[in-house]
Amino acid sequence: MSDFERIIKDVIMGCPPGEVEEVYKDLINIVGENSKDTIIDAIEEYNIAHHLPVEVNGKQVILSEYNKQGSKFNEPFDKISFEVDHLTRQGFNIETIELPEVDEEIQNIHKNLGIYAEANFPGDVSFAVYKTSDEDKYAIYIVSTKYNPSNFWNGYWESAYIYDKQVQTLEGGIRVRVHYYEDGNVSFKAEKEVKLEDATDVVASLSAAEKAYESELDGLFDDLNEKQFKSLRRRLPITRSKVSWGKAIGNYRLGKDAAEGR
Amino acid sequence: MSDKQYTAALDLLRRLDPDQTRANVANLISLEPELAEDLLAAVDTPLTVQKDPHASHREFLCCDYNRDIDSYRSPWSNEYVPELTEEDAQESPFPSDPLRQLEVLCNDSFDVYRDLYYEGGISSVYLWDLEDSTDGDFAGVVLFKKTNVGGEWDSIHVVEVTAADESRAVYNYKVTTTVILQLRSEKQNGLALSGNLTRQLERDAPVAHAAGDSIDAVHVSHVANLGQLVEDVESQTRNLLDTVYFEKTKDVLQQVRLANAHTAETQLNKKQHQDVIRGLQNL
Repeated sequence: MSDFERIIKDVIMGCPPGEVEEVYKDLINIVGENSKDTIIDAIEEYNIAHHLPVEVNGKQVILSEYNKQGSKFNEPFDKISFEVDHLTRQGFNIETIELPEVDEEIQNIHKNLGIYAEANFPGDVSFAVYKTSDEDKYAIYIVSTKYNPSNFWNGYWESAYIYDKQVQTLEGGIRVRVHYYEDGNVSFKAEKEVKLEDATDVVASLSAAEKAYESELDGLFDDLNEKQFKSLRRRLPITRSKVSWGKAIGNYRLGKDAAEGR
Repeated sequence: MSDKQYTAALDLLRRLDPDQTRANVANLISLEPELAEDLLAAVDTPLTVQKDPHASHREFLCCDYNRDIDSYRSPWSNEYVPELTEEDAQESPFPSDPLRQLEVLCNDSFDVYRDLYYEGGISSVYLWDLEDSTDGDFAGVVLFKKTNVGGEWDSIHVVEVTAADESRAVYNYKVTTTVILQLRSEKQNGLALSGNLTRQLERDAPVAHAAGDSIDAVHVSHVANLGQLVEDVESQTRNLLDTVYFEKTKDVLQQVRLANAHTAETQLNKKQHQDVIRGLQNL
C-alpha cells in the first residue's frame, strides 16, 4: 500500500457513519478525480468493516466478509448475488444464483433476531445471520442507524457476533457512534467486547448482554459528567456569583491568601 | 492551493474524529502540502504547555498566536522559549510597550478568574497591535487549559477590540470562542466523548476616557470589559457543552437503540399504536 493509499484509508476509516458521501466529495476536491478508485476502494473496506446495509431490490442487505464472493456479495435467503455501488450503497447487476436452502437453525435465529431488532432498535435497523467458512459458526449482525444531516447529527449502533453452535458460545462486540456537528464537531465513541457461554438461545443471550450494556453506558455517561466534566470548569465560582472585574479583582487573591493563612 | 481545496479540508475536519484533529490535519497536509499554512492557522488543536526559565519555570500556554519559528513567547517574562538567536529575535513580534502593560494586567486578572472557575489549570493572555487601525485598537487571545484524569479542557478566546466612535468613550469587543473538550472513560477502554464547539459574542462597552484619566484607567476598563465578555461567552459555551455532550448524545443514542428494555406488554402497545396510525393513514 502506498503512503497515499494509506492516508486515504485513514481518512475514510475516521469518517462518522452517514457522512461518507460528503467526505468522498471533500477528498475529490482536494486530491482530484484521478484518485477516485483509491477512495472508492477505501469506502468498500469501510462499508464491510462497519457491516453497513446496501439496498438490493428494495431490501437492506448487510455487507460482511462472509457474504462477499469475489467482487460480488450474496443474500442467502433470496439466493441472489449482486455488485455494490459503495458510495451510494445500492446493489446492481442482481442475479439469481444456485445456493443451498438456508439451514433451519439459521432460519430460526434469523426470525428471532428480527423480532428482537424490530422491538429494540427504533432507527433504520438491518440484521443478518450468515454462514462462515467454519460450519459450526454463524456470523450475526444488527446495525441500527439514524442519520439526520439537516440537524447536524448522525447515530450508529452495531452488534457483530460469531455464534459457535457446537459449544454454544457467542463472541463479538457492540460499537456505538454519535456525531454532532452544528457549530463544532462532537463525537461519542464506545466499544464493548461481548463473550458469552451457555448461549442455548442465542438471541435471548445477546439481548440480555445488550440490555446490560445499555445500563452500563448510562452509568459511564454519568461518571464522565460528574467526575470529569464538572471538575474541569465550575458553572460558577465557589462564591456563587460572577467575578467582580476591575481594580478590585486583586481582593480575591488577598482573600484567598488570608484564608490560607499566608 | 485553491479555495475549493481549503473549503473541503475545513469541511473534512468538521466531520472526521475530533479526537484525532492533529493527525487529521497532518494527513490533509500530506495530501496537499500547500494547505499547511492556512490549516495550521485556522484549526484549533489542544494547547501545548511550556515552562518559562525566566519566571521560576512557571507554565504558560502555546498556540499559533504566540509562536515564532519553533519558539513561543511567555506572558510572564515576555521572552521566547526556547530562546531565539539574536538575529531571529530582532524580527520576532512583541506587543508595543503600552500594549504589553495591558497584557500584564490581563494575565494577572485572568489568572484570578482561572483560579475561581478552574481551581487549577493554566491561563495565558497574548495581545498584539492591529495594523492600519486607530491608535488604541488591539487584538488578542485568552487561553485556559485544565486536565484531570481522563479529561482535558482547552478554551481559546480570540478577541478584537476597536473604538466604536471617535471619542473613544465606547469600544466594540468581539470574541470567537472555541472550547476543545475531551473526556475518556476510566472504566471502559475505547469510550470517549470528545470534540469542540465554537461561539461568538460581540458587545459595545464604555471605557474611561476623560482627559484626566490615565492610561492605567483605560487599561482597567479594557480588562473589566474583556473579562465580563470572556466570562459570559465561556459560561454559555460550558452550558452548550453540557447539553450537546450529554443530553444530545443520549438523545441520538435513543434514536438508534431504545433506552428501556421493552417488555412483551409495551411491545404489544407499540404494535397497537402502529396499527392505529396505519389505520389513520389509510383513511
